Amino acid sequence: MTSYLLVQAVNGLVIGIIYALIASGLTVIFSILKIVNFAHGEIYMLGGYFGYFVITLLAIPPLPAVLVAMALAFAVSVLLERSLLSPLFDPRTERKGDYGILVTFGISILLRNLAIIVFGPFPLRPPSFWPGTLVVGELILSWDRVFAAATGIVILIALLMFLARSAWGQALNAVSQSRESAAIVGINDRLAYTLAFALGGALAGGAGALVGPIYALSPSMGLVPDTQAFAIVVLGGMGSVGGAIIAALLLGVSESMFVALFPDPTRGLSYAQAFSLVVLMAVLLIRPTGLYGRAHAAME
Amino acid sequence: MRAVIPVWIGVGVAALAYPFLADPYWLTVGILAIFYAIVTASWTLLVGYAGQFSFGHVAFVALGAYASALLVKDGGWPIPLAALAAVAVCLVVGAGIGGICLRMRGPYLAIFTLAFSEVLRIVITTENEVTGGSGGLQAATLFHGRSDIPYYLVALGLLVFSLAAMGLMVRSRWGLFFRAIRENEQAAAASGVRVVRFRVLVFAIASSFAGLAGAFYAHYIGMLTPDIGSVDQMGLVVAMAVIGGSESLPAAVLGAIAVEVLVEALRAYGQWRLVLFGALLLLTMRFARNGLLTLGWEQLRRALPRRVAVR
Repeated sequence: MTSYLLVQAVNGLVIGIIYALIASGLTVIFSILKIVNFAHGEIYMLGGYFGYFVITLLAIPPLPAVLVAMALAFAVSVLLERSLLSPLFDPRTERKGDYGILVTFGISILLRNLAIIVFGPFPLRPPSFWPGTLVVGELILSWDRVFAAATGIVILIALLMFLARSAWGQALNAVSQSRESAAIVGINDRLAYTLAFALGGALAGGAGALVGPIYALSPSMGLVPDTQAFAIVVLGGMGSVGGAIIAALLLGVSESMFVALFPDPTRGLSYAQAFSLVVLMAVLLIRPTGLYGRAHAAME
Repeated sequence: MRAVIPVWIGVGVAALAYPFLADPYWLTVGILAIFYAIVTASWTLLVGYAGQFSFGHVAFVALGAYASALLVKDGGWPIPLAALAAVAVCLVVGAGIGGICLRMRGPYLAIFTLAFSEVLRIVITTENEVTGGSGGLQAATLFHGRSDIPYYLVALGLLVFSLAAMGLMVRSRWGLFFRAIRENEQAAAASGVRVVRFRVLVFAIASSFAGLAGAFYAHYIGMLTPDIGSVDQMGLVVAMAVIGGSESLPAAVLGAIAVEVLVEALRAYGQWRLVLFGALLLLTMRFARNGLLTLGWEQLRRALPRRVAVR
């Protein structure tokens, strides 16, 4: 029993790292554009399919394939932001919050159903990044999961370095604190919005590409991670990348412990999907600013 | 206002004549269109008028449908009584959700209601000993005859009742309060609007109409699956409201009817339909935020000579 719990905990940690990628993308988008992106799960889904086709059609090795999938998700996000989100920055638009919600919700319906047509409704599974399993004592873990976790950690470190050290990262932070002041000191705020939305998309896309060999790909695979990412972002504090990473690991591990300890296994698996939703609702009710909420990042 | 009366009479006659002219297939489409019209109009009341962004509206459709079906099946209640009880359940749960969401606004409310809706769907799917799970729940049907005409008339009656009740509400002082809350809660409170009371009230009312539509659906279709509370259903309702025009009850009804007719007319295109509605929703939001039908109506009014124009 203890070894089972250990395996579950490590699996939860791996999934937590994937969650952290998705949720940090969501929180970057949120803190700069001040919108909740309801289409984030669908960009994650697209990333998975991009990874699949890059590996199977172009025969690119796994690690570059993840990077190509991220680049493609970045490009799709740039297109979406430029074509559909520009009214958010137009002073003539009334009730921008409602616009952001409805437009991203519409994008999610469009992409999900387009994916059913283009990629087919049946689950696809990309080839393994790295066949075989890692066995350490009682711990058994497939290399795919190790690869996904390691790559995820590298991407997260790169993201934190980019946000904290690079000029662009600091510009993004400035825009998240005040659009007007950032524009006054010469930051191109329009470009910052596009960059933030595309960066968030690339992170989700990378997560999708990493998850491909672990779970199968399907057009509706984005629905659950989308709400899990909401839960993580709210739990970690809207707009805080560090908070999102910690909350993601917490949620990943507690979710797989929930499955492991739930008395009725079939129900446990089914209710695991509801677990993050209940966490989300509870956090929204009890502590809407989350664990590491920043005052200026509050929703308008 | 007076010039509108002949239009309403025309619409009424056409609606009453429809079931006797349409073939059974299109009669079913008409009944489903009316079902969606009630759901969309009540969502419009909640979102368009009161500005309470809920993505959990179809959860109340599911709640009303399952509550009514289960009361008939397991409790042995007569259908009309069970439907009324289901509406009451939705009223209470809706007021509860409205009450605990009082601190939330905009996106937070949208996320919370979406989460509530998904949790309800997962519970319905999982507790298959009671609800039949994804295999479906057999519900007693209201009539046993061959023709669907009685269903159509009941649906039409429910639609007229719902529209009249909601229409009177939004034209009264309450409608003014709802819109004041939508525009600026603090300012509304400062002007003496009881924000808490009216936010809970609009949630309860909109949810009970959704539950009413759900209960009717259950006893018309006779078969319930958790899919009636799915995110795609919510997306369809949102598309109907936005394409019609999300700040007007008649526009929402027309949007629902137009989209439902399109859904059936384009049946051969299968999955492309939802892509089309997604695209229409985005284009409407991007270029005609007051709704495609509202836009078309205004163009028509401008094109017609003054004398003929209907005010």
